Amino acid sequence: MSLRKILRYGSLAVIVLGTTWLLRPPPEERHADAGKAAKGTREDARFVLKIAPGSSYLPGTQPFGLDLTLHGLSDVVADFEQRYPDTKIEIINVPGVREYLVTQLSSGQAPDIINVNVEDVWTDVQKGWYVPLDQFLEAPNPFVVEQGDPSLPGSKEWWDMFTYQGISRGKAAPDNLNYCLTYDMIETGIYYNRTLFKTWGVEPPQTWEEFLAILQRAKQEGKIPLLMNLSNFNDWCTDLFFDQLYYDLLPGIDLIQDPVREQYLQGYLDWDEIAFLFRKGFFHADDVRYREVWRLMHDLKQYTNRDMMGTDLLREFVTGNAAMLWSVSAIGFRLQADRDLGFEWGVFYLPRFTKQTTPYASSVDMCVIGGSGTQLEITCSAIGDTDPNLSMAERMEKSERLQRAVAFLQFLCLPENYARIVNEYPCMLPNIKGVAALPVLKPFEEILARRYTTTKWVYTFDLRFGEIQSRMLGLFLADGVSEDEYLRWEEDNIRAATENLLRRKSVDMDKLEHIWEGKAAIRATYRDLPPEPGRDAR
Amino acid sequence: MSPAKRLLVHVVLLAFAMLTLLPFAFMLNNVFRTNSEFYHSFFSLPRSFRELAALGTDALRGRSGEVEIKDAEGQVLTVTRGEAVAHWWDQATRGIRRSWVVIRPYMLNSFIVSLTTAFGVALIGSVTAYILARYRFVGSKLVFVFIISTMMFPGVLTLVPSFLLVKKMGLLNTYWAMILPYIAGGQVFAIFVFKSFFEGLDEDLFESARIDGAGHVGIYWHLVLPLSKPAFSVVVIMNLLGTWNNFLWPFITNTEGKCHVLASGLYNLARSPHASNFSTVYAAYAVSSLPLLVLFVYATKPFIQGMTSGALKA
Amino acid sequence: MNWRLRSTFTCYTIVLPSLVLLFTFVYLPVVWAFSKSLYEFEVGSPARFVGLSNYTEYLFSDPTCWPSLLNMLLLTLFAVVVRLTFPLVVARLIYALPSERGRHFYRILFLIPIVVPGVAVQLIWMGLIYGDRGLLNELLRLVGLGGWAAGWLSEPHTALAAVAMVGFPFIGGFEVLVYYAGFASIPTSVNEAALLEGCVGVRKFLLIDIPMVLSQVKLILILTIIGGVQSFQNVFILTRGQPGFVTNVPGLWMYLNAFSFQRMGYACAIGVLLFLVILVLTVINLKYFKSAEQLQGKAS
Repeated sequence: MSLRKILRYGSLAVIVLGTTWLLRPPPEERHADAGKAAKGTREDARFVLKIAPGSSYLPGTQPFGLDLTLHGLSDVVADFEQRYPDTKIEIINVPGVREYLVTQLSSGQAPDIINVNVEDVWTDVQKGWYVPLDQFLEAPNPFVVEQGDPSLPGSKEWWDMFTYQGISRGKAAPDNLNYCLTYDMIETGIYYNRTLFKTWGVEPPQTWEEFLAILQRAKQEGKIPLLMNLSNFNDWCTDLFFDQLYYDLLPGIDLIQDPVREQYLQGYLDWDEIAFLFRKGFFHADDVRYREVWRLMHDLKQYTNRDMMGTDLLREFVTGNAAMLWSVSAIGFRLQADRDLGFEWGVFYLPRFTKQTTPYASSVDMCVIGGSGTQLEITCSAIGDTDPNLSMAERMEKSERLQRAVAFLQFLCLPENYARIVNEYPCMLPNIKGVAALPVLKPFEEILARRYTTTKWVYTFDLRFGEIQSRMLGLFLADGVSEDEYLRWEEDNIRAATENLLRRKSVDMDKLEHIWEGKAAIRATYRDLPPEPGRDAR
Repeated sequence: MSPAKRLLVHVVLLAFAMLTLLPFAFMLNNVFRTNSEFYHSFFSLPRSFRELAALGTDALRGRSGEVEIKDAEGQVLTVTRGEAVAHWWDQATRGIRRSWVVIRPYMLNSFIVSLTTAFGVALIGSVTAYILARYRFVGSKLVFVFIISTMMFPGVLTLVPSFLLVKKMGLLNTYWAMILPYIAGGQVFAIFVFKSFFEGLDEDLFESARIDGAGHVGIYWHLVLPLSKPAFSVVVIMNLLGTWNNFLWPFITNTEGKCHVLASGLYNLARSPHASNFSTVYAAYAVSSLPLLVLFVYATKPFIQGMTSGALKA
Repeated sequence: MNWRLRSTFTCYTIVLPSLVLLFTFVYLPVVWAFSKSLYEFEVGSPARFVGLSNYTEYLFSDPTCWPSLLNMLLLTLFAVVVRLTFPLVVARLIYALPSERGRHFYRILFLIPIVVPGVAVQLIWMGLIYGDRGLLNELLRLVGLGGWAAGWLSEPHTALAAVAMVGFPFIGGFEVLVYYAGFASIPTSVNEAALLEGCVGVRKFLLIDIPMVLSQVKLILILTIIGGVQSFQNVFILTRGQPGFVTNVPGLWMYLNAFSFQRMGYACAIGVLLFLVILVLTVINLKYFKSAEQLQGKAS
């Protein structure tokens, strides 16, 4: 009996002690180059900056299939901290969603530097949550200047360091200020099983009809023709198909061409324009082009995997069960890393619609919908050391914290630092001159050379709009609701979102109306425009 | 009961138990398997185990010499048997090691939050229950009603306003955002259990203690505590179970992600880049089950008592 | 008198922490739930008084309202049915075993899964059972029915059923313990009397055993109903109410409105409505569902 007791309490003691030992905090620096770790601790640092870099570069994570633990960003941070011993940079992982942002930013608790899609930033610029970066981007990058070579990009303007000038500068918000540092690039493409394509004797398609023919063939051969999930439909498909059908109309419906962004965004429809067009009868159930967008999507759904909510699309592709996979450039390395992959693969981009696809096809090539990948913004937390009653300009003037945050971003852009982070593994395409894309990402460089999308629907309105559209689209594609019912939901959804938007933001509808009337002659040449609802709708 | 019938009962019970435990068996299996194994054969046992077993039987049969393994880049390497064992062992335990890096802070937070809460609930609950059970004072009934009435407010009613409250108090992203509301809510059940337990204690004991000149603190410390061990273990275990499994509240109040406990941390893990390695995820689930398993093994009796004492509530 | 007053004062001082905590973290939120449901506001933005319009909007013009209430009802009903049957049968079978060791073994065995965090259980079901290549689909492919493989949680006609079936065969250790405690407390005299009258097997189970554990049944019933109406964690983790709003429940919509759409007042209103539903159901339950003690009391 007593032996039993000894065993019982002895083993319990071992477990408790073992657990305590396991739970001890790990040594500060886990990586091989621990010698570089900054000596400064949080207590004696004047500036503690938090950065949420997003998931691609999060130190300590292991990219899918690679025997590699990321440390590029923490290495660069350590170098920065060594240069500025009064500064401590904390890298944190936050849920990359706007739900999180809204609560954090509204209470001033957000990280100083965050990675969030800039379209989400645009929605909130009027709230003073983000710091405009123009004055810094238009000035030299001090870390380049100190290298002493005036021919280096960045020694005149920080802006010059970026490879993709159009996309980077085009990320200016509707107020013409730039809140976003386009740190790297990402694009989507269709990965295809080249071995299968060879067996079937087909080539990557040039038109939508050829594409459908391949999908049809794959289906006959018992393969899943195309792997994609609901968010691909809701985000990418919507924008691409919308662009294919409305591009021709842009001269008559793109109302605001602002001087700064136009040369890069080329007729981008902002939320105020979308809201105005909705009031003019566009995107209603009887807008034939709008209906066509969803019909074509429903047709495409016949060739995709059944489970649209599944996140693990890659699996069907690597096991050879599917012919094609529509995914982002950041997934290519996973294919490369798969040791059991028994086939060759390639990448092509979606081919354009023809008049045969739909009578409303604009017959232009499919546009770019990706572009900026990691988009770094400085939040109002960075100017938290100043009096919140001052204007943004004054606070930016006074804030020392902000200087450090900007310096850190400038430091991150220095090619030798940049390469350590972005090219640690082939996930994102570099956007800094002098840093080349890793081989597996090459096909996407060509795709990125295309024209930018007409609008980004999921970022146009509030989160409620996006949530409802995604849900109902999923239901529609799974034949859970009819096309008519879906369009009714969507119309109600845009209406609610439009009303909400007009209530919150000052949109000069009279000015838009004026421009609209000025373009009546252009629109008269278009056919099948939606009927304008009765005047009382205004 | 005839032996045939008894056998039937056992078969039925075992079948039910197997079905119940099946998902956990698959979880355990995938703790030790690579993505590639998961992709290519769902039902097979971990390759690393099979290889280790083969190496083991070879060793028993006295075979020696070198063996071939595939390294990370797919190159076939010829290595010694010792190296092969190290390789497969490394592969088998990779999920556990990777997951531990992620969930270690969650585990620590879970311990901090759950243990503090359990301590607070046991202390405050027993003290209040002691007063309510042993003293009659102006409004004592009202106080009890005030406490017990909170049982009728479901969590769904207070979820959003509670969030607004802790936000207003500036408690978001702190342990207190969890601990204080947990104690506030958890003490009600504790007071209920303690009160009925204390009321069952012999009044003479208290009387004689009072005559001996013991104050509140003395009576609580020297009389109540030693007598009430069973009630304490029930309260503490039920409380631990509750806070350990609470997912939504920590998920909502840890917007920065620093104070995540296991429940909310696991959900985040399943949605993070770590989740691209399945073994990491399943290892995290398995490892996060261990603390309660230990508690269960070492405190089976109070555990079962605690669970059934829930019946008091109806 | 003086002593008594001081004692009262001391008593209140001692129970003060309890009361302060309860007031702050329970009563205040309850009051806020009602008061804030009359406003429309985002966190950190000024509130706008809107009267009862949050309630009327939810009940009359929110298209998710009635379908999600129906889902809640169906899921709760299903949960009630399975939790009143499967664990009851298992507890009865365990009770039927002759040896105490055997009974103990099975009670422990069914209790073990309780150590796995609930979140993990749901994530395991999502990934390993219902996943694209989860157990269900793999089993179908194994027996040559690969064509039936489906996205169980993502297709409109299977999603709700898949959510309901999580946890199959629904034998929670807690329920088993509670029912078992009920069976164990049946007086031997009752069992002997039943045996004398030749009442055995299923007949005894239905006629004698179940009525004797009615108070346990009632406990599980109340807990299941309250849990079913207010909990949305399972749906939140498994489907987020998708596809469309096919698996949506009011609690989840409350969550999304509060933490995703920043409609705090609207969310509070949904919370208040759910509270009223729970209140009504609990009162009905307490009033009309007599427990075994009451039945016995009447009989004697």
